[in-house]
Amino acid sequence: MSAVTFDDQLASAATGPEGELLDTVRARRAQRRGSRVKPMRVLLHSFLVLMAVGWLIPIGTAIYNSFRDYQTDTQPNGPFAPPEMLTLDNYRAAWDVGEMSKTFGNTAFIVIPALFLTLLLAAIVAYVCTRYSWKFNIVFLVLFTAGNLMPQQVLFQPLFQFFKYMPWPDFISDTNTGNLLGTKVAVILIHVAFQIGFCTFVLSNFMKTIPKEISEAAAVDGAGVWRGFFQVILPLTRPALAALGTLEFTWLYNDFFWGAVMLNQGDERPITSSIAILNGQYGSDFNLVAAASTLIALPTLIVYLALQKQFISGLTLGASKG
Amino acid sequence: MTKPTESSPKRRGAGLNRRDFMIGGGAALGGAALLAACGDDDGGTTATTTTAAPTTTADTGPGSTTLGSNFSGEVPKAALAAAVAATGVETTINTIDHNTYQDNFNTYIQQPDDVVSWFAGYRMRAFAGKGVLGDISDVWSGLSGMSDGFRSASTALDGKQYFVPFYFYPWAVHYRKSLFADMGYSIPTTWGEFKALCDTMEGDGVIPLCAANDGRWPQMGMFDMINLRVNGYDYHVSLMGGNESWESAEVKNVFSTWEEILPYYQPDANGRAWEDSAVALGDKSAGMFLIGTFLADQYPAGEEIFEDLDFFLFPEINAEHGQDAIEAPIDGFMMAASPENETGAKALLGGLGSAPAIDAFLDVNPSVVAANSNANTSGYNSLQQSSATAVGSAKQIAQFLDRDTDPDFAAQVVGTGIADFLTSPGSIDTILADIEAKKQTFTFE
Repeated sequence: MSAVTFDDQLASAATGPEGELLDTVRARRAQRRGSRVKPMRVLLHSFLVLMAVGWLIPIGTAIYNSFRDYQTDTQPNGPFAPPEMLTLDNYRAAWDVGEMSKTFGNTAFIVIPALFLTLLLAAIVAYVCTRYSWKFNIVFLVLFTAGNLMPQQVLFQPLFQFFKYMPWPDFISDTNTGNLLGTKVAVILIHVAFQIGFCTFVLSNFMKTIPKEISEAAAVDGAGVWRGFFQVILPLTRPALAALGTLEFTWLYNDFFWGAVMLNQGDERPITSSIAILNGQYGSDFNLVAAASTLIALPTLIVYLALQKQFISGLTLGASKG
Repeated sequence: MTKPTESSPKRRGAGLNRRDFMIGGGAALGGAALLAACGDDDGGTTATTTTAAPTTTADTGPGSTTLGSNFSGEVPKAALAAAVAATGVETTINTIDHNTYQDNFNTYIQQPDDVVSWFAGYRMRAFAGKGVLGDISDVWSGLSGMSDGFRSASTALDGKQYFVPFYFYPWAVHYRKSLFADMGYSIPTTWGEFKALCDTMEGDGVIPLCAANDGRWPQMGMFDMINLRVNGYDYHVSLMGGNESWESAEVKNVFSTWEEILPYYQPDANGRAWEDSAVALGDKSAGMFLIGTFLADQYPAGEEIFEDLDFFLFPEINAEHGQDAIEAPIDGFMMAASPENETGAKALLGGLGSAPAIDAFLDVNPSVVAANSNANTSGYNSLQQSSATAVGSAKQIAQFLDRDTDPDFAAQVVGTGIADFLTSPGSIDTILADIEAKKQTFTFE
């Protein structure tokens, strides 16, 4: 891959004044390439192919079997056998039995506000901690970052009891349970609380790279704290917000735990926690589950494919300190 | 497929509304304003929780109630919806997948629906003792067709009833009639005959015994059956109640008896799902399978294998106990300690305990047997008839290892011990010592 890009660069540069030099470089490389033994390369590629196939087999098998009938085909003939008949029935049944239109809605209800609030609040904290000199700046950032290191599950019992005894008026809730327990609002709050640490960490590192002079110039022109945030810094942070938004979306979307333990009503749960209702007490129609899983994986796949650039830059966000 | 209760279309509509709403809502500004709007949206259109107070509905009927259901999976879900419809009580069904429901029951019961699905016997008593269930003795006084056995399985230590049985299903040795007929095998009734049959099958190139233990519960059934045959029902109850030592001669005897048939097992039982063993029984590569009658669900109803399936009782080992006991777990319903609509909840429980509800259920899901003796048995298939006969003629009915004792003790201690025994039967003494030591950390009822 890198060799190809380099060659391309050479080709495009060859028209320039250094063309002659490049010709000799290319000739030398061609010479070397002919005589080079490449067992390592062969080994590397067979390893990579093997790993790729190893990853694809389970996914491919699941997708393949989602188009077959379980009782009459997959169960007696095995998951790798040629199909007796291909059908979309599993998808139809999964959508109906899993009430997926409802649970996809639940996921949207949880993920969209949680994402919005997390990014907004994290950006505010990051803004204050990086643009204003305050003696607790470092302590504050350390506190937020340290929150990332705590396994979320250990807080389950305290949060559960707290939510149970926390009165919550129905008019700002999505269900009338009378307290926070069993409401999607509770799940949103948990997500915001747990994700804000990482987002603050990333956004503050990004904001540190924005020259201080910009804020100073805005202040000289009369911009207050809020204006400096919303109209100066926030627009400049857009690349980081886009990358972070993409990452956070997949994380929040994939959450299984909080949706399962905080929401007692099956049809209030997000798609990830609710889809297990396709399993019975003893037996499971694995092909039905495979069809549902394929449907559930689609949104994250679409987000990934559509926003690939942001996703990849998101992975290195905050990796270097500004 | 037509689905649940009257309220279902309403709920589905609410989901769409909310989703449409959220598309716009994502762009909305203030968080509180957003949530407030969502609250209105939801409260206006869903019927998730009943608001009918018993006092205002006394004249007009029981009002609407809620039912927490672990009847997940396509067929059970539809079957329960049919049963609830047959009771005539307006009910919102909250379906949660069976495993999560069971694992989360401790937290679920702190914010339950009015009526909740659960298991009879020890598991019910454990929660009745904690005061999270409502006394439904008055529902029982109105129930007809429930035997004394079911009544005692529904009664807690305080002598009150907290449970309404719905159906049960026995555990027995399943086989294919055609295999036995073709090969000239006969049904074994004693341990000697059973082992001789295993030898014959092995000679014929058939794996004698299906063996699966994925999830670490299927082989609990084998332990229970051998224990019931060797030591009897009373010992089973006592052992499960934590009153006997797991290092006793009786328990060791169970495992040494068990070891005699391990060579006839499908190899590597611990890694095999019971569904995979069902395939082996179906294609006749294996001969016998000790499992619950839910096995039949694995084969398409009305087709060759389904019609060819039958079972026999686990053979006698100790003449003193004969074939007296059978394992037949009972599933049913309970009421929350303080339901929002007690009248409605009790009306629903009474309805679910009577014949029309279970008839409607069995129409859709014919792999279990009605608890109520008034239920219509004319539509039973041959397996259901055998089940009813087997349980009816049993002198004692056990539930199942993980239902007759502390569920955590069963799953984490005994289940692990049994799995270890299957891989190394020789180290059974160490395994039992370990079980006995860990048992001390559990408080039995």
